[in-house]
Amino acid sequence: MNEIREKIDKEVAENTILVYGKGTKDAPQCGFTLETIEFFNHFGYPFQVIDVLQDTSKRQVLAEMTDWPTLPKVFIAGKFYGDTDILLPMAQNGELQKVLEDAFAGKGIKPTVKLH
Amino acid sequence: MIDEAGITELIRVKIPDAQVRITDLTGTMDHYDIRVRSAAFKGVPLIDAHRMVSNALREAHADGRIHAMQIKTDVPES
Repeated sequence: MNEIREKIDKEVAENTILVYGKGTKDAPQCGFTLETIEFFNHFGYPFQVIDVLQDTSKRQVLAEMTDWPTLPKVFIAGKFYGDTDILLPMAQNGELQKVLEDAFAGKGIKPTVKLH
Repeated sequence: MIDEAGITELIRVKIPDAQVRITDLTGTMDHYDIRVRSAAFKGVPLIDAHRMVSNALREAHADGRIHAMQIKTDVPES
């Protein structure tokens, strides 16, 4: 269990925006994971998706450490933010934009401008 | 699988005043949109309000009766 926890801590530290989900960025296996990927695509900051669909022990450790039973699980700058049920209202009131700006400010990363 | 009454009952064990609105997202009785209104959420950070609901449903999620859920919480207007 400790090894799994260490691996998670490392992944969280290495990725400013990290999504634990079902499936990958290119092939999400769950509607809520897809929704989260689309959500972050919209913001234009780099983000990582780690597939834990088949990894029951890692899912269990993640659920215990976050007190959050479901996937996806989103971490930003090391802090747990739940899922889009939390992030969407935060985006609507502007709180999330501030969190993302602060998270990436020290890294010199600006969001890529997307032409729709 | 679990029906809407079953979910409401589990939530009210932990949040007795909860007003619950449930939508079956897929028609398979295991993917649900769950909206909960309760005075118990007053002053509680959104993420913790969601934890109150998901913890009430923890076993139903762990044993697979609920496969996936999205949750919205709010406080009744006083």
